[in-house]
Amino acid sequence: MPQASLTSFDEGLVGSISASLGEPSWLTDARLEAFRQFVALPSEKSPLYTKYAKTFDIGLDRFKAAPGGSEIDFRSFFTGYLTGNESDILLQGNETQVHAELSRNVSSKGVELMSFHDALGRDEGAVRKLVEGRLVKSETDKYAAFVNAFFNCGTFVRVPKGVVLDKPLRKMLLLDSPRTPVIEQTFVVAEEEARLVYLEEQYSKGVPSPAFVASTAEILAGPNSHIDFSSIQLLDDQTTHLSNRGVGVSNDARATMSSLSLGASVSRSRTNFYLNGRGSFAEGFEIFFTDGEQRYDYETNLVHNSPDSTGSTQARGVLKGKSQSIFKGMIKIVKEAKNARSYLAHHVMILERTAKSDGIPSLEIDNNEVKATHSASVAQVDEEQLFYLTARGLPPDEAKRMVVLGFFEPVLSRVPIEQTREGARFMIEGKWEGEKRRLVDRETLLAATGELTPEVKESEDIFERHYKYR
Amino acid sequence: MKLEIKELHASVEGKEILKGVNLSVGQGETHALMGPNGSGKSTLAYTVMGHPKYQVTSGEILIDGESVVGLPPDKRVKKGLFLAFQYPVSVQGVSMFSFLRAAYNNSRPAGSESPTIFEFKEVVAEKLKLLNMDESFLNRYLNEGFSGGEKKKAEILQMALMQPKFAVLDETDSGLDIDALRVVAEGINKVSGPQMGSLLITHYQRILKYVRPQFVHVMFEGRIIESGGEELSRLLEEKGYTWIRGYREEEQAPPQVGQTL
Repeated sequence: MPQASLTSFDEGLVGSISASLGEPSWLTDARLEAFRQFVALPSEKSPLYTKYAKTFDIGLDRFKAAPGGSEIDFRSFFTGYLTGNESDILLQGNETQVHAELSRNVSSKGVELMSFHDALGRDEGAVRKLVEGRLVKSETDKYAAFVNAFFNCGTFVRVPKGVVLDKPLRKMLLLDSPRTPVIEQTFVVAEEEARLVYLEEQYSKGVPSPAFVASTAEILAGPNSHIDFSSIQLLDDQTTHLSNRGVGVSNDARATMSSLSLGASVSRSRTNFYLNGRGSFAEGFEIFFTDGEQRYDYETNLVHNSPDSTGSTQARGVLKGKSQSIFKGMIKIVKEAKNARSYLAHHVMILERTAKSDGIPSLEIDNNEVKATHSASVAQVDEEQLFYLTARGLPPDEAKRMVVLGFFEPVLSRVPIEQTREGARFMIEGKWEGEKRRLVDRETLLAATGELTPEVKESEDIFERHYKYR
Repeated sequence: MKLEIKELHASVEGKEILKGVNLSVGQGETHALMGPNGSGKSTLAYTVMGHPKYQVTSGEILIDGESVVGLPPDKRVKKGLFLAFQYPVSVQGVSMFSFLRAAYNNSRPAGSESPTIFEFKEVVAEKLKLLNMDESFLNRYLNEGFSGGEKKKAEILQMALMQPKFAVLDETDSGLDIDALRVVAEGINKVSGPQMGSLLITHYQRILKYVRPQFVHVMFEGRIIESGGEELSRLLEEKGYTWIRGYREEEQAPPQVGQTL
């Protein structure tokens, strides 16, 4: 098949992507509607954040795209990235889904892990419902609209009612100088009383190239279900990254989102938690470490739509070099959400004066019988801490390393997925040493580090340590 | 072997605090350094350890005849110095265990092999027992949320692990109730021995009931103005620091009218 020529992101491209993927007309129409929003919306809607829009602009105009996937031989493409012991994994090379594997034990329970378009072929009705009920709505954000209009790949995960998975489902995206941007649409669905852990990884291989990875993810926790979602972003420093997530939590369900970001040149990431059911619980962990000229624009919002809901999001980041970050976060509690509890924190450490960071937490609360609190800080490495450690014999470099890596711990140690937690430490240390690392299994980790240091666990109750009630 | 401080002058942010301190602590000796608030005791402690804000303007700090002035704190540790902090800082996210292990490994002589994690666990368990401390201590963040007593015990635990030649204990007795004071003092006694010299900085005589110094020095306005045996501390306790002030004034010319003291 001859390769289609690259064009800019126009209406024609919407149609040709949809056609090349053999989509039904309702989906093409949904894309076109999203495209209209994309054209109409400014890059930043909220007046709270517009002054930062320029600094963190992802520069969409620089990219062009074309429909059609590329041929990838997954065995050679993923050489060195897999141990061979993986199961329940979906592999994607650039925009092409190349391999999905579910163990018999998992697939026999009706668990689905496949490309979005395979799911569309198998269960169009269900997929249509999901697309039409998207949490990441085109009209709320230009970049959400962008992905909804132009996605050229996607992932679909569904765990049926009552099925409890004890091992994670994984999705690995590996980039190697893609010709066209990777624009993904992901759905992760836990039906009633289901339980799943999802690990998403994004890596670049080969020589860094100006690539673009954009995605939206719909994470839907049905009544009484439990989803632990983890995302690791280790793209190379020439790649632009865009992410939009909507997490919907039903009655008595629980959803956590742990995200570690070390890569990309510019990254814009937004997560909205919608606490839609009574007794729902959501917890977000944003961990990042930037250097060079990286720019991270992070937003997390907790939207309490129902009574007795609990939400928390904690961000911790360290910035080196000339890197910059902005954290935007809002707690929104509607009138009906009596007894909601919500917590938002953003704490950043700046290692050099050339690095910059801002945090803009805000509250919008329409019910008085709630607890909501936020905290934010941007600080430099504490000289007295360094003196204390050097007075215990630690060379200055080691003292600094200990203080900086320790800074992540209060949030990192709460990440509920062991592999992500231990892997994140390993990858953050790698970045500190100037070494690229990936998420590895426990055996590999033990072989690499020799030992795992025992962990400190703080109180389980996120509100115990915070006394500022509204 | 000796820790010698000779005619030491030191400043903080351009202000001279130490104005010619002379002191010599031999191995196996216990010295007490007393004096009122603001007399320069803690400045001496920080200056000896090499805090970057404390500038030595003249004079010497010698360990076994070798100067440590200008050396960074970690190099002073290698020479055998230790400072028990009056206010140990807390470091969130750094576990007591990994901190102690790093401190232990870094205070050992160059070339000696570091113990494995399991070997170190045994080493630290023994020291914890010595100080009647619970092992759960190791699973907390460094000094984070520690009570006054726990912080001071933790300092002595570090001293026990690092086995310095010379230890400066900066108001290790402050902020302790009488029971905690006894436990900490007993800890100091267990850790010190003929191979360690210590300089115990204190306001009060009460710790000196448990840790008996052979030498007592009194500091006032950046100098040591009186040295003696244990009896000096009792005299101070009886007469108070105003006695020291009066004592100084006798030696000096009476102040001029309008001169600030």
